[in-house]
Amino acid sequence: MKMAEGATILRRNRPGTKAKDFCRWPDEPFEEMDSTLAVQQYIQQLIRRDPSNIDLILRIPDSHDEGVWKYEHLRQFCMELNGLAVRLQGECHPETCTQMTATEQWIFLCAAHKTPKECPAIDYTRHTLDGAACLLNSNKYFPSRVSIKESSVAKLGSVCRRVYRIFSHAYFHHRQIFDEFETETCLCKRFTHFVTKYNLMSKDNLIVPILEEDSASGESEA
Amino acid sequence: MEDSSSSMGQNGGQMGSQAASSSNNKQNEDSQQKDYSVPGILHFIQHEWARFELERSQWEVDRAELQARIAFLQGERKGQENLKNDLVRRIKMLEYALKQERAKFHKHKYGTELQQGDMNPPVMDDSGESQLDPDQSYLPVGNSTWKDGRKLLRQYLQEIGYTDRIIDVRSTRVRALLGLNNNHPDQEESYNGGPVNGNESIKRVSETQGRRTPAKKPQPGSLSEAMMLDTEAAVMANLDFLSNTDVDMDDDEDMSDDGEMDHSVEMEDEVKPNKKEGEDVDALALEVFNELNRLSEVEKKPETKNAAGPPDWDKTQVPKRPIGISDEDNIDAALGLGELAQLTVNNDAESTYDIASSKEAFRKTWNAKYTLRSHFDGVRALGFHPTEPVLITASEDHTLKLWNLQKTVPAKKSASLDVEPLYTFRMHSGPVLSLAISGTGEHCYSGGLDGLINCWNIPNSNIDPYDLFEPDVLNTTLHGHSDAVWGLSVLNSKQQLVSCSSDGTVKLWSPHSKVQLLNTFTSEQDGIPSSVDFIRDEPNKVVASFASSHCVIFDTETGKPVLRLESTSQDSVNLSAKKIYKIVCHPTLSLTITAHEDRHIRFWDNHTGKMVHSMVAHLDAVTSLAVDPNGLYLLSGSHDCSIRLWHLDNKTCVQEITAHRKKFDESILDVAFHPSRPYIASAGADALAKVFV
Repeated sequence: MKMAEGATILRRNRPGTKAKDFCRWPDEPFEEMDSTLAVQQYIQQLIRRDPSNIDLILRIPDSHDEGVWKYEHLRQFCMELNGLAVRLQGECHPETCTQMTATEQWIFLCAAHKTPKECPAIDYTRHTLDGAACLLNSNKYFPSRVSIKESSVAKLGSVCRRVYRIFSHAYFHHRQIFDEFETETCLCKRFTHFVTKYNLMSKDNLIVPILEEDSASGESEA
Repeated sequence: MEDSSSSMGQNGGQMGSQAASSSNNKQNEDSQQKDYSVPGILHFIQHEWARFELERSQWEVDRAELQARIAFLQGERKGQENLKNDLVRRIKMLEYALKQERAKFHKHKYGTELQQGDMNPPVMDDSGESQLDPDQSYLPVGNSTWKDGRKLLRQYLQEIGYTDRIIDVRSTRVRALLGLNNNHPDQEESYNGGPVNGNESIKRVSETQGRRTPAKKPQPGSLSEAMMLDTEAAVMANLDFLSNTDVDMDDDEDMSDDGEMDHSVEMEDEVKPNKKEGEDVDALALEVFNELNRLSEVEKKPETKNAAGPPDWDKTQVPKRPIGISDEDNIDAALGLGELAQLTVNNDAESTYDIASSKEAFRKTWNAKYTLRSHFDGVRALGFHPTEPVLITASEDHTLKLWNLQKTVPAKKSASLDVEPLYTFRMHSGPVLSLAISGTGEHCYSGGLDGLINCWNIPNSNIDPYDLFEPDVLNTTLHGHSDAVWGLSVLNSKQQLVSCSSDGTVKLWSPHSKVQLLNTFTSEQDGIPSSVDFIRDEPNKVVASFASSHCVIFDTETGKPVLRLESTSQDSVNLSAKKIYKIVCHPTLSLTITAHEDRHIRFWDNHTGKMVHSMVAHLDAVTSLAVDPNGLYLLSGSHDCSIRLWHLDNKTCVQEITAHRKKFDESILDVAFHPSRPYIASAGADALAKVFV
């Protein structure tokens, strides 16, 4: 099924592929990827192999451009956050979560509007992800996925800060959803490691106690 | 002489006339003429002299001030002249572009050349110079000739405390020059709301490229405003003598930037608009510098691009695609060069292409017009709204997005996007693989790797992309498949939906009635279905392609297979290599068309089950097919990165367009015709969708 004629491996998801076989092809070494999307391919390949092996996933290939590496990772995070947003849609209603909050300390205003609004949490989530999708696909700031301007790399930090609030809201208000999602994807943990490693967010803002849990080796007990 | 004597006298006078002066002062007015005492006179002269001296020094100061003013104004005027020339040049370019567009449009519409006065490129003969000149003159002038003068001037100005006002004067001048009265709120709005840069407006112009010009109205405003911002930034950047005061300004904006915001997140969001503005100004300044470089590169780059060409595309060079190549490369070049480059380069390309195509016999050639970028991963499927210029894309990033081609959304973050999605459909918990849109345009259906089929109410095509969440956009979910749903097709006359899944079944649904699942079809001997469609001229039949590389026609009422479409034995040497990616039925004829892994497209007669034609269509697996609503043309997409348009009569390729890049070994995943408007679209593994007109 995966193997076409001879020894050449065609990495394709043909119509009719079963869900369990989707993207299940032999790994391709990063050096042999000649596509413009090589970094995305490589990251997705690592995640598919083992989403919990965060160190390996975040280890940048030798002499690779760090801006592109960070950018592609952030794309992947925003994409996977869709999964959390879908789960939240079922439970996080505008009537119950009228504001985007994590701890009692702050109410986050939605920056997607001309004047920042107190959007309900679910709308904040959707708007933030939509806005991130627009920014990260923006022809102006990110016209290429092969090389990225320094000024555009600087924008990644603010995207990180905003999407992180989705994690924190889920953690403090929809703990069950968060835990299920986290067990499956390790996304928040990976994200926390990512922003810490590349210094994209200040430690004070990382309010989901995921790294401490890590050392205590408990996923669901805070 | 006078001075010395008077100064001497001053001393003496002051000493000697102490008493007299007190009386003098008292009767100064009336007795002045009578009391001509020497000390009095001396004192008077001395007093007068001091007064003149004072006045003279005041004039001196005034003069210095005015001279400074003149020098400044002269400098400013020169700068503005340059700005004006630059703007005029751009306007000419835009006018020319508009003319080209109109001519093209006219030709496409009426098939004749449009006479509209001077069709010559406005400044073509000296375009190289004129493009570079105004911009270059900023740099040398700014850096050498005026440098000393500016230094001096800056000192003057700082002494006088003039600096704050100058900023205002300068910016109001620039604005006045452009005939705009805009103040900060406007700027902010233009950033948050209105289109910010030229490219956006140009798109709009070309959309309303008819003979009428009303579209021009809104355009100059936003365009020139954007340019004004550009040029203002350029002035800021170049007139470095103002740097001191600029720092003050920037500080205000920087205040709202990250540093402070990290203290308190609450505050951050409140000041966000400011922050964006700050960022934007920075970005603009940078952009202007880049632009200077770009302008000079514009001339060279396209050639080098054409010559080198991305490696992926080289191998797909096949006859009959001159348009495809040049256009695509240009777009790529333009992507690299930014919106300005796109502007000029594209026009050049189009003008040459127009000449070429007028000699070609082709009825119509398609050109890439919109690139839809917003998905994070490969776009698996797309479909057009039956009547409106609206399409929906389904992606491996778990979402579907709704796009309105005529509504270029107020660009929030970036204005160079052609179109921004209006709505994002989130409910699938895995990649979305298939999509079908109902003939009324009310509903769309998406099948995912999660085995679910979601039925959506398509939101109004004019909604605000950042509106509140409406849970009822999801109409219903069809449960029944236990594995990935790879194919969907709609039968409008009966409001039925047929789906195929890797669980081995083909299911017929009536999504909007009580009993949703109508029937299930399987073919044990053929395995897993890969694609499915209704037979259009016999609405009670569906045809499905299977892993065995055969197709089976089922009767939807009995659920039994009616006919098998099997290739002859000599053709079926290696069945696995002939896997079928896509099956479509002709809208009017009794014809089924299949796309195969072995690069073939095959045609079948639905009555006899015999293959009527087979052809090698691409350089790699053919992945997608679409038949135009009139049944005259066939569109195919392939992993060789190209889409091809075929004449169904004689099965010849009319046009080939290289459209997408590869991710792993996949490239183009779907193609579509608009049911009622002249649009075609392709969806790629590179997370892009493209629309051609």
